[in-house]
Amino acid sequence: MTARLGPHLKASALVLPLVLFLALFFVWPIIAMLKQSVSDPVVHNTLSQTSAIAAQWNGKAPVPAALQDALVADIRATTDRQEMGAVVRRLNSAKSGFRTLMRKTRRAIRKTDGPINLGEVDKRWNEVAWWHTIAQASSPYTDRYLLAALDYGRDKHNQIVALPEDASANRTILARTFVISLSVMLSCLAIGLPFAMVIASTSGWLRNVLLAAVLLPLWTSLLVRTTAWFIILQNNGLINSALQALGITDQPIPLIFERTGVIIAMTHVLLPFMVLPIYSVLLSMPGNLMQAASSLGAHPIVAFLKVMLPLSARGIASGSLLVFMSSIGYYITPALIGGPSDQMISSVIAFYATESANWGMAGALGLVLLSITLLLYVVYGRLSAEKKGVA
Amino acid sequence: MTEQPYIEFRKVSKVFGSLTVVDHLDLTINKGEFVSLLGPSGSGKTTLLMMLAGFEDPTAGDILLGGSVLNRTPPYKRNMGVVFQNYALFPHLSVAENIAFPLKRRGVAKAEIAERVNRVLEMVQLPDQSEKLPSQLSGGQQQRVALARTLVFEPNVVLMDEPLGALDKNLREQMQYDIRRLHRDLGLTIVFVTHDQSEALTMSDRIAVFNHGKIEQIGTPQDIYDRPNTHFVAEFIGETNLIPVKYREGDHSRCSVTTKTGKDLEVTSPVTLFRGTEVLLSLRPEHIELGDSAEGLENAMPARISDVVYQGDHLRADIEVDGTKLVARLGRHLPPHDPGDEVFIGFRPQNARVILP
Amino acid sequence: MFPTVKKAFGILVMLFLIAPLAAILPLAFTSSALLTYPVPEWSMRWLTELVTEPVWRRSIANSLIIGGGTTVLATTLGTLAALGLRRYSSLFAGVLKTFFLLPMVVPAVVLGVGMQVFFVHVGIANSYLGVIVAHTVIAMPFVYVSVSGSLAGIDPRVELAAASLGASPSTVLRTTTLPLSLSGILSGAVMAFATSLDEVILTLFIAGPHQRTLARQMFSTIRENVSPAIAAAAFVFIVGTILVACLIMLVRMRTGGAMQKSVGPGIS
Ligand SMILES: Nc1ncnc2c1ncn2[C@@H]1O[C@H](COP(=O)(O)OP(=O)(O)OP(=O)(O)O)[C@@H](O)[C@H]1O
Ligand SMILES: [Mg+2]
Repeated sequence: MTARLGPHLKASALVLPLVLFLALFFVWPIIAMLKQSVSDPVVHNTLSQTSAIAAQWNGKAPVPAALQDALVADIRATTDRQEMGAVVRRLNSAKSGFRTLMRKTRRAIRKTDGPINLGEVDKRWNEVAWWHTIAQASSPYTDRYLLAALDYGRDKHNQIVALPEDASANRTILARTFVISLSVMLSCLAIGLPFAMVIASTSGWLRNVLLAAVLLPLWTSLLVRTTAWFIILQNNGLINSALQALGITDQPIPLIFERTGVIIAMTHVLLPFMVLPIYSVLLSMPGNLMQAASSLGAHPIVAFLKVMLPLSARGIASGSLLVFMSSIGYYITPALIGGPSDQMISSVIAFYATESANWGMAGALGLVLLSITLLLYVVYGRLSAEKKGVA
Repeated sequence: MTEQPYIEFRKVSKVFGSLTVVDHLDLTINKGEFVSLLGPSGSGKTTLLMMLAGFEDPTAGDILLGGSVLNRTPPYKRNMGVVFQNYALFPHLSVAENIAFPLKRRGVAKAEIAERVNRVLEMVQLPDQSEKLPSQLSGGQQQRVALARTLVFEPNVVLMDEPLGALDKNLREQMQYDIRRLHRDLGLTIVFVTHDQSEALTMSDRIAVFNHGKIEQIGTPQDIYDRPNTHFVAEFIGETNLIPVKYREGDHSRCSVTTKTGKDLEVTSPVTLFRGTEVLLSLRPEHIELGDSAEGLENAMPARISDVVYQGDHLRADIEVDGTKLVARLGRHLPPHDPGDEVFIGFRPQNARVILP
Repeated sequence: MFPTVKKAFGILVMLFLIAPLAAILPLAFTSSALLTYPVPEWSMRWLTELVTEPVWRRSIANSLIIGGGTTVLATTLGTLAALGLRRYSSLFAGVLKTFFLLPMVVPAVVLGVGMQVFFVHVGIANSYLGVIVAHTVIAMPFVYVSVSGSLAGIDPRVELAAASLGASPSTVLRTTTLPLSLSGILSGAVMAFATSLDEVILTLFIAGPHQRTLARQMFSTIRENVSPAIAAAAFVFIVGTILVACLIMLVRMRTGGAMQKSVGPGIS
């Protein structure tokens, strides 16, 4: 028995450290991010009595007296200004006007220790809508970030509705991310497919040189490559200087902080991912297929369309998926080369996370990006598994 | 032959999933013996060797070495030298380091290692190559290094799994000769797996013919070749003609059989059978004799030549006897025969053997 | 087929691939404060600034510390796991292998957000440990792929031979398996180091001002005040890459590339 079990135990002991490491520092952070996208603890934690009562309220007027008393008690009990500030921000983001309403209410509560009629402090407390907002915000979980990530929200009847155009731009950004990724993928394909065929048609040192040209950039820092494009694309950079020196333009063509620049730089960065899969498929093909086709009377172009293209379809598909999947999460290149209207979903996530400390939104958009990427990865995995099956 | 066998397999089985690769196998090997395992691909030869070396555990049964059960001894404590088909040299170590490897594991002193490495390199006729990497050697040289690496620590047994399979014909014959010589000079016990029957026939003291995880027959090369016991062995070793006949009568090994057309033939049989039992007669092509008349031929039968092919050192003739097609191997000095010639064939009783179908 | 067109196209694409990298190198030696051509005069000014200016110096030191830590951690974890899984082909092993490669797939920004939240929670945000751990997560797959590739290239019979010659399992590992997978382990280590060196996004999310790496420093320099110092830094990067590539090739050749097929970097 020990002879059977021994090797497995040893193998487990070797694999376990990495599994634990990834569980702790890879899976858990992703779960933490996902949790951020649905958690809304501010109101629930700070206005705890109010939240408890609001959870039982059927939402109909009149507002129960107990709810009003609970709110007063909660406000009175919260001495930490920052904590209360967070509550106010949260409520105000759901319904503007809460900031002034709360300031007024808190001032009134601070003046006395006795019971308070909120309706007298501010007439708005008589309106059910304000209480609805509190009630909605008092659940520890929320779908508002996830909805907002796709430009949806809830109206006052708690129905899911599309947000007004000016309120959010996430769908625009998502569409832009797709457009840029698609453009990068197509330009990689346009350059990469013929280039892979050129490499496959060569041999000896020439092939090695061509392959080195593909691999060298792959092994150069992404940051360096982006920097290089930054230098080249500038208004007084190499391209514009050349164009001006040749008299083609007398004004610099705007390339940097423009969509064109982003696509050029990303194409350069991702081109190897297109070339290599196609090249490896082409390599596994007999070299004389094209000759065979033409000897059978096919025009070179027909031979290409009917023979080469279908046979390399799998390489093209994996290359395209790889490029698309990588570009969809790109951050550095658009951040450095692109203008404000070229920022992709990663930039927006980074903005929410590092600049506006809006973890909910960062998490929700992160979930969207993660789902799309994993979906593409599954398709890609299927594709390469099939490839192995065939070979 | 010593009384106590050196290596003993007792009812050893090996099952992979639902596939029985070695099936209740018994085999004994004496000290100093050269035993070949011969059999078709997938018949379990490598598996048997791997169990002996300790790389695979038997599913059932015991393997004994010098009378004690080996089953739980890990490979590195068995002191058995294994020579693999692709040599399995350490690509990162020089020839000398490869050969020194087993000595280092046994804590042999440095000076002695150097001496023994040199000695064994001379033994396999590879002096002056000790600093090279395996990749810098030819196939035959690598084979010699593998052999040297195995011999240097004076193992109990040397196990070889198709060690010559990757060599060309000339090198192969040279190595066959060298291995024989080392076996004789050093008194090694060798278990030798091969696909190649002529290799097995020329090299071995005994041959075990494998089929489907069982030993069909074990014996000296002459036994196996001249006296195959089963249909499988007769067909697997060399070429043979199998003629369906009925057992008639006999005592000891000599007996007579009846052909389909009712002709009685004098042949040999390993067993005595009931009259009328349907058996096969195995007749090697080279044992068929040819004559213009029945005179001077034992078991003479009229025959017709249907084809003759020149094969260099011999002629190969397709012959029809009573509607049965036979192959004969004829000396090239024989008077020429053409297809269609009517002739007589015959054979000696000791050269035709009854086999159970 | 169309030889001239083919040749012209090949040259153009090569130019597109290589020229940008070549274009950045001379600017490391400009005397001007602008990152533009033509270069008025050659000077070591910016390379000197890299080693004298505290911000750059600090960031280079940080990159070396964090890169070193990442290399050690990622190489250890990845190599152990590759050794553990090498003989398994079950469904479960397949799932594990996919899991180990997943950090390459998950967008860095997504991981960054999660790590920022989680690291604050466990108290390793703004620390060297935090950055090293984060870099290890994304560097480890390279090690795993590279080491399992070189392990797969080892003929199992060589290890059996070692055992039959008297090597215990741990001796087989020490004398045979590890030396034969050394090139894979080294390539993996180099790739782990390179990944850490080049990492910006996770660093952006979880590093404090004291862990600012060279890449992070370059990133903000390009964003805020473009100076030829970034060309100088890029020069260091490129020279480093070429050196490292040569190193890998050397190791490859020394450890008998013929006996091993390998997945990983290098022109093969
Ligand atoms: N580890 C294993 N798992 C499953 N099946 C195995 C394993 N090893 C061997 N087999 C099967 O056992 C059978 C016998 O294999 P073995 O290698 O012993 O044959 P062999 O006689 O050496 O053949 P060959 O002459 O081709 O080397 C084969 O069908 C093989 O597929
Ligand atoms: Mg075998």
